[in-house]
Amino acid sequence: MTIQHHPSELLLTAFAAGTLDLGAHIAVATHLVACAECRKWWRTLERVGGAVLEAMPLARMSNDALARAISRLDLPLEAADPDIGVNSAALDTIPGLPEFVRKYPVGEWKFVAPRLYKRAIHVPDPGDTRVFLLRAGAGVRLQPHTHTGTELTCVLTGSFSHDGMWFGAGDIDLGDSDISHDIAVGQDGDCICLVAMSGELRLKGLRGRLMQPFVSI
Amino acid sequence: MSDGAAEELAQETLIAVWRKAALFDRSSTAPSAWIFAIARNLRIDSLRREGRRGSKAAGDVEAEFVVDESPGADALLAASQEDRRVREALAGLSEDQRRVVELSFYQDVAHADIAEMLQIPLGTVKSRLRLAMNRLRGLLADLS
Repeated sequence: MTIQHHPSELLLTAFAAGTLDLGAHIAVATHLVACAECRKWWRTLERVGGAVLEAMPLARMSNDALARAISRLDLPLEAADPDIGVNSAALDTIPGLPEFVRKYPVGEWKFVAPRLYKRAIHVPDPGDTRVFLLRAGAGVRLQPHTHTGTELTCVLTGSFSHDGMWFGAGDIDLGDSDISHDIAVGQDGDCICLVAMSGELRLKGLRGRLMQPFVSI
Repeated sequence: MSDGAAEELAQETLIAVWRKAALFDRSSTAPSAWIFAIARNLRIDSLRREGRRGSKAAGDVEAEFVVDESPGADALLAASQEDRRVREALAGLSEDQRRVVELSFYQDVAHADIAEMLQIPLGTVKSRLRLAMNRLRGLLADLS
């Protein structure tokens, strides 16, 4: 089984540049755990960042900048932040998550719809993006929907299909207002995904509009 | 970011480079890439602290960029040769392409702001950056 759906060049470049918000960062990092090819290219992108840095014009700093920096070398190290992780071991049974994500506090599995559950991951700097795990039973079909913001979904286990494309472990899927998500979970067992989502989800169709008030994803 | 804040970050970067120097592994990356990553992480950390006035932990930015726990560093790379290839690949981009690549690494701005700075449409920024990154990837994809 090979990974077929990778982050776009723009997304991976923003990841390497450190300009993604933490939620999107986590979704890309989750893909990188599974994808040796993107890991390799990410490392090269950091070299590109370094090469750009070397080629940039010098900026003038204040006259005593170097002296001040050197004097700071003698100061004791600032105490590190208390570990934000509570590592409840709640995520230890979930495959494919980056190590740093496993340390975050998590909520309980919550009912969304029959055979569909979500579990919040409380990240230290959420920005506008919520991060959660979504677990759907084999064969479940999600109500067709679009997004008001963007959604990055990385498959951890199981599979789903969307618009004739198949997504398995490590594959990353982008949803936004232009993309209509009509998702069917594969028959190969529960599908668990890591989702980083900004904005809201909009259900489509009459049934969807009736259900909308009851669905909180 | 103000000049003062940039200077503060430059000093913190210098100090971090000094303190971590023993950890630098020439076989796995270039010095410039290593320094770039340190500065990038310090910047994210400082933005977070500023955002929440030190009231909560800012998280561990460095850990967020560790996703590969098993570096297959069995072979030493011809590292300096690879650095040269990265520089040459960048130099081989058109001026326009190089500019959007630089801006996406070194300006604290969204693509929409890059469009305004360069006075080109947003779609052009994205397509230019995409072209530039595809070109770099074609030239550098075999680097480890």
